[in-house]
Amino acid sequence: MQKPAPTLKRNTQFLSARRNALRRLSPLATVLLLLLIWLWISDNAIISPILVPPPADVAAAFADALADGSLPAHTLTTLGEMFYGLLLGVGIGLAIGYAIAKAPVLEHVLSPIIVAFQSTPIVAYAPLLIIWFGTGPASKVVTTAVIVFFPTLVNTIAGLRAVSPNLLDVMRSLNAGRWQIFRLLELPSASPILLAGLKTSSTLAVIGAVVGEFVNPQRGLGYLVTSARNRYDTPLVYVSVLTMTAIALSLYSLVALVEWRCLLWRRRSLN
Amino acid sequence: MRNRSPIALFIVLLCLFSVAADDASDESILLTFIPNVQFSPFYVGIDSGHFAEAGFNVTLEHLQEPDVLDLVALGQANFGIVSGEQVILARAQGRDVVYVFEWFQRYPVGLVYSSAKDLSDLGDLSGMTVGIPGRFGASYSGLTTLLHSAGLSEADIEVAEIGFNAPEVFCLGAIDAAIVYVNNEPLQIRQRARAGECGDVADVDVVTVASQVDLVSNGMIVSRALLTEAPSAVRRMAGALGAALREAIDNPAGAYLASLNHVDDLPQSADFVAELQAASERQQAFLAGDPDRAAIARSRQDLADALSAQFEADLLTQFSVLLNTIELWEAERLGYSDLASWEAMRETLDLMGDLGGELGDLADAFTNEFLSGSDG
Repeated sequence: MQKPAPTLKRNTQFLSARRNALRRLSPLATVLLLLLIWLWISDNAIISPILVPPPADVAAAFADALADGSLPAHTLTTLGEMFYGLLLGVGIGLAIGYAIAKAPVLEHVLSPIIVAFQSTPIVAYAPLLIIWFGTGPASKVVTTAVIVFFPTLVNTIAGLRAVSPNLLDVMRSLNAGRWQIFRLLELPSASPILLAGLKTSSTLAVIGAVVGEFVNPQRGLGYLVTSARNRYDTPLVYVSVLTMTAIALSLYSLVALVEWRCLLWRRRSLN
Repeated sequence: MRNRSPIALFIVLLCLFSVAADDASDESILLTFIPNVQFSPFYVGIDSGHFAEAGFNVTLEHLQEPDVLDLVALGQANFGIVSGEQVILARAQGRDVVYVFEWFQRYPVGLVYSSAKDLSDLGDLSGMTVGIPGRFGASYSGLTTLLHSAGLSEADIEVAEIGFNAPEVFCLGAIDAAIVYVNNEPLQIRQRARAGECGDVADVDVVTVASQVDLVSNGMIVSRALLTEAPSAVRRMAGALGAALREAIDNPAGAYLASLNHVDDLPQSADFVAELQAASERQQAFLAGDPDRAAIARSRQDLADALSAQFEADLLTQFSVLLNTIELWEAERLGYSDLASWEAMRETLDLMGDLGGELGDLADAFTNEFLSGSDG
């Protein structure tokens, strides 16, 4: 078989690089397109500014909220609630998920409670969490934990059950301890599914924190939306919602980056 | 060929009937909160036919206050009920709505505190912890007004944001006083106190915002466009609401009975309903004699006393809420609001730093032109 000619190889590399660049730029292009549509809608007064304010007004509201410190302060509050909520929810989800994966009888015992809890919309029992855990940040942290718990639990169980029984037998035949099996086999094998669950959980964490802040608005981006809404400040509502979106996207991207780094070995071995 | 004239006649009659039926237009009135005895004038308006007589098939919808206001401003609904401060805030943000009927003549917010503490001089609030649902809405406006009238500011007190849980938090002793809706929560706290479920609180007193300053309160809004394009509809609706409100004020037993048809969880029993029906009929006979306002107020008190002697307090709670609320509605001329109460509200909003835009002329925010008996 002949080697490809150098020119052909260069062309192929160029085309591949261009495709990669286009792929990377496509989300930016989508955002730009949406922005252009938004500008067109507001310039031509197609939809009332009560519903869709002009982008310039939203930018001005963003600058004001940044300058007076309200946006950073409320964002930090929401981030704090999300962080501790994720820590709690993911921690408990991993622990119970591991226990269920190892002892299937637990699944029969716990699944009615877990499924019942999960199938009830969070907004229905968020007011109860406020009564149980108080009006401070604790209730918002718990709301976040509750919402991120289930995807973590399900993915932990699925991930650990997907571990090859043959490899488990090999580890056992080598007299590996429980911790060694977990560290060297189960965790690496389950990590793609675990990280997929973490990606879902990280975006749900924003919902959890904001639901808590809506039910008991004191601080945070949920409060900022409520407060802006009560003052008919639609541009500030947009600023708050876009900030939530940015947080969710950033977290998702961060976990995706962690996933990419953590699973480098897997891609290499597959290649 | 068969004679088709009976069929043709039937079709013509059907068309005529349809036209007659269409004379009454379907209309949603947007309210806040949830179905509650406090909305009894609207239930009376539907059940007694005041809205139908004015040409409206009314349905009631409950939404958040900003949503009510925006839907009316956008012309997606013609009539909504919001508080006066929302009208000022929304107009400052470009919503051209006009307030056409003041439903609550007295601002419904006040400060509740244990009778053991003498807070009749509000200056003594300094250093105390005051519970408030949150730094928004009528409660926050009420607190700001009360503090201002006492020469205090928020920095002089400890504000605890407690959600709408004042009776629970107050009775746990976590706060010294609470900003509440005066027609409802003091009643609940008093009942707990009398049952020995409110710590060392034996009874409570209330300082109302209305006793300090006349702030514009809840009322009906329409869009400027509706006012221009269909003034007769606005006049008919304001007239119907006025008639329904007057009926509810004058005959609370009838208003409670109407509320039973619209509010699911209102306390009732067969004896209680029978007594209310009898009381309502007696009241109608009494009203036929054209009594003055003071005599009607006495008749309400007599009814309250008579019912208290016959029924348990729990059964009467919502009826008592209705009687307390009637005191906030009552006026010689229903629906009327004056510029001074609007200016007082704007001053409060200025103190709160909540006015985010240019308000323009406050006189454009409201009109009394569409009230029954008004010229024009």
